Amino acid sequence: MTLWNYYHTPASVDEALELLRSYAGKARVIAGGTDLLLDIRQGHLPPPEALIDITRIGELCDLHQDGDWLVLGAGVTHTRIVSTDLIAARATCLVESCGVVGGPQVRNVGTLGGNVAHALPAGDGTTSLVALDAEAEVILDGERRWYPIRELFVGPGMSLLDPTRDLLIRFRFKLSGPYEATAFKRIMRPQGVALPILGCAAWVRLDESGEYYADVRLCIGPVDRVPVRAEAVEAALCGQPVGSDAVERAIQAAHEGLHPRTSRYRATAEYRDEMIDVLLRRVLPLAAERAQTGQAVPEGVGIE
Amino acid sequence: MEQKNLLIGQSVRRMDAVGKVTGETPYPGDIDLPDQLWMKVRFSDRVHARVTAIDASRAEAYPGVVAVFTAKDVPVNEYGLSMPDQPVLCGPGSGKEGADIVRCVSDQVALVVAETEEIAAAAVKLIDITYEDLPIVSDIFEAMADGAPQLHAHAPNNILIHYKLRHGDIDSAWDQADVIVEGEYRTGYQEHAYLQPEAGLGYIDDEGRVTVLVAGQWVHEDREQVAHALGLPEEQVRIIYPAIGGAFGGREDMSVQITLALAAMKLRRPIKIIWSREESMIGHHKRHPMVIRARWGATREGRVVAAEATAYADAGGYAYTTTKVLGNAHLMVSGPYEIPNVRVDTYGVYTNNIPTGAFRGFGGPQGAFAAEGQMNKLAEALNMDPVELRALNVLREGSLMSVGSPLPPGVTLDKVLAEGAAQSGYWQSTEDGWKRLPVEQPANPARRRGVGMAMGFKNVGFSFGAPEQNWATVEIHGGAEIERVVVHEAGADVGQGAHTVFVQMVAAATGVPIEKVELIGHDTAYTGNSGSTSASRMTFMAGNAIKGAAELAMEKWQHEERPAIATYQYRPPRTTAYDPETGQADPNFAYGYMAQFVEVEVDLETGQVEVVRVVSAHDVGRAINPTQIEGQVEGGVIQALGYAIMEDLITQDGRVLNPYLSTYLIPTIWDVPREVKSVILEYADPRGPWGARGMAEMPFIPLAPAITAAVCDATGVWIDRIPLTPERVVLSLREQGIGAI
Repeated sequence: MTLWNYYHTPASVDEALELLRSYAGKARVIAGGTDLLLDIRQGHLPPPEALIDITRIGELCDLHQDGDWLVLGAGVTHTRIVSTDLIAARATCLVESCGVVGGPQVRNVGTLGGNVAHALPAGDGTTSLVALDAEAEVILDGERRWYPIRELFVGPGMSLLDPTRDLLIRFRFKLSGPYEATAFKRIMRPQGVALPILGCAAWVRLDESGEYYADVRLCIGPVDRVPVRAEAVEAALCGQPVGSDAVERAIQAAHEGLHPRTSRYRATAEYRDEMIDVLLRRVLPLAAERAQTGQAVPEGVGIE
Repeated sequence: MEQKNLLIGQSVRRMDAVGKVTGETPYPGDIDLPDQLWMKVRFSDRVHARVTAIDASRAEAYPGVVAVFTAKDVPVNEYGLSMPDQPVLCGPGSGKEGADIVRCVSDQVALVVAETEEIAAAAVKLIDITYEDLPIVSDIFEAMADGAPQLHAHAPNNILIHYKLRHGDIDSAWDQADVIVEGEYRTGYQEHAYLQPEAGLGYIDDEGRVTVLVAGQWVHEDREQVAHALGLPEEQVRIIYPAIGGAFGGREDMSVQITLALAAMKLRRPIKIIWSREESMIGHHKRHPMVIRARWGATREGRVVAAEATAYADAGGYAYTTTKVLGNAHLMVSGPYEIPNVRVDTYGVYTNNIPTGAFRGFGGPQGAFAAEGQMNKLAEALNMDPVELRALNVLREGSLMSVGSPLPPGVTLDKVLAEGAAQSGYWQSTEDGWKRLPVEQPANPARRRGVGMAMGFKNVGFSFGAPEQNWATVEIHGGAEIERVVVHEAGADVGQGAHTVFVQMVAAATGVPIEKVELIGHDTAYTGNSGSTSASRMTFMAGNAIKGAAELAMEKWQHEERPAIATYQYRPPRTTAYDPETGQADPNFAYGYMAQFVEVEVDLETGQVEVVRVVSAHDVGRAINPTQIEGQVEGGVIQALGYAIMEDLITQDGRVLNPYLSTYLIPTIWDVPREVKSVILEYADPRGPWGARGMAEMPFIPLAPAITAAVCDATGVWIDRIPLTPERVVLSLREQGIGAI
């Protein structure tokens, strides 16, 4: 079957916007296409007249450090993120989440921007960006501005971006500093052609003794229609000494505040509820240990 | 003579390797013909309904549409491999009684033929179908109850088949048993998930025959089914298979064959169709889900004295090969053991679910899941080693099966068990019998390792009195020396490498190098009937036919005939059907024997089961091509791993909720065990060509019960329902207080 009639590879943001304008709603942005093409093929989306491939735009493939910040173009592939030492060391959860997406072929073409734009409540890369408190630069209706990442999401599969008009340009977030670290784990079989049953990314900052949680950001998904921070769990951890008591407090807060749902062919709410415990027991001690030692080696990455 | 010995047992490179690896080999979907049209199917929109009217006017008016076909256009509107119980197209006007009813989502209602695939796809949605819904029955036990909706007039209470087996005196046998174990075993659907979804071309060939180019398992059966539905003599129908992208039993029944032939016959132009993955998953049958209740008893010394089982299988809306699949399950549910008292009842039940039929192992895996689960539980109850218990009870030369007859000569269950156990690394033979070696545990207490084993047997070839034969023709060309040898053999190479083995066997039988052998394969215009590529039968059956034809041709060659041409039909010893009341029979003429040893690691917190290592031992009689045998072992083990742990087709009220490979998960490289060790044993089958036995289904059959035994060894919990999804494992463990918060 025909999935599209025209395929464009613009070299600049302006050219991409102009192409989108000229198709007047009949073209869609493609940034890897590992979700988009499945949706078209399976009939969930009608084939668009044209696909505008943004992965050849220099600005969208940019990846650089700016002081304590990392700037990451929306067209950067999962493979490139996983193989970037700086991200592995100072935004470890992003490597751990991008490293379990799909298989090597999917990671070679799938981009972080595509993952975010798809706006699923369990997108692996998205989960980590939320824990990293990332910001996203977008061009909405012709206007360029930065948004906190969480403000992009409107509903399952829906973001502020109109894929026939708007562009996601890049992300930025602060790299981990002293006493800070991140970790990501997920529950599913060790293959990634499907969505995870549950994912969890944590960013922690310990106090200078290295004994207490000073600040925590936690994203567990899917537990809602959009990716969310587990704020009640974060609050339960802040000020607590690192250790199993803190984890149990976090679990208790999670059960009070998070209510995952049953998906018909992925998992029941009951299983997900129990897996929240497992994930918190695995992710929090790992992140805390990394923050204490200042050493972080990504785990579970399927790149080898 | 030396040449012969060199060729049998040599892993010659597959004839099809280069073409398939480079992508040059055409599969049905890759082939185009000039002036071809495209077809799309309108599958049933309902699970169970009467089609009261079909209005195709909007589709017919769509620019580029050439024709719309419905039930009224099908000359003889019925088909089915074991009985013609399914309409080719459901709807009014065909004259076939009951053909106006759709009984499941696999039913087809209309065909649109158009100038392009896009036009056909757009127009097929424009057919207006009026349905009158009928009550849905999607549970086998509800379907068997009085008052349930009846799907077919020939099956009261929706019972398509009920086999009985009465051997010895079960009622008094329980008194001899010191231990009795009971279990209820449940198995799920399985999708074949072959690489190549259904596709093909229908056209009229140079001699005016309605021709279908398609991927199947038996060209002559396809021809018979197409000819029947079209009301044509078989000579006017031709079936050709180009390369076949996997089958596993999923191509035994019709998919696109009849509809392509119908459209080609009516329009006299080439017609092409390619099913999408979703259409493939909805449009062909699955492995039978079963519920098996079993009760076995043994003496303190470990003699199994009684086995009782009742098996219920969901046939879905139509029979497909249910009667034959359940024939096998009925025999295998009491295992490869000499048990003096056996009682089995096996039921196949129509429901409005997706139909079920042939799939690698053909009822054997479900039977083995119950039988081997019972043996493993008996071992536990007797505090006996599971290998030791089996060694005491396996069928031997001359011992009687539950059906009252012995296995054919060459019974090697005891040898396969012993050599497999010894080579597994998990067991050792001691003066006190077989002993399990301890397994090393991971440091993380949430991860527990365990080891389990199971064994099995499976017929090679058609069973229970079904006519069984294979034709081959061998032509020897040349003058003083043989220049080339041509073999006509229809046996389908579905990807397993049958063609390479045929060529090896021809070369061995005529004493020429394989480069001089030319194979004319699956095309009804040039080959005799081979029977199906199923039941692990093609090496055995085609091998015997090729050997027979080659020997006759060589005789003619010696008598100076040029070319020397001989045709031979191999017919194995006949088998008999189950006695309707007692089930006594001489069911099969050949068997394969196997034993498997599995190491797993269970995450007690998440319920994930990882299969770490599998040792799979097989008596293959004679390994014609050892590398291909290893390929079958590894492929079979991984397919069975998916069946046991991952593959979870979810249905609700007859609808399939996950008809995609993104939601119906099959193993990927990450799920493959770190080692699959093939133990290939060669105890010749006196009836096999060069002693060969069939083997392709064998690595599938005992894996699931070996895995559940390993999981129990790791966790202490028996889980008698597959697939072992993480959620199901967690639930079972928590019920026993393991890994609980």
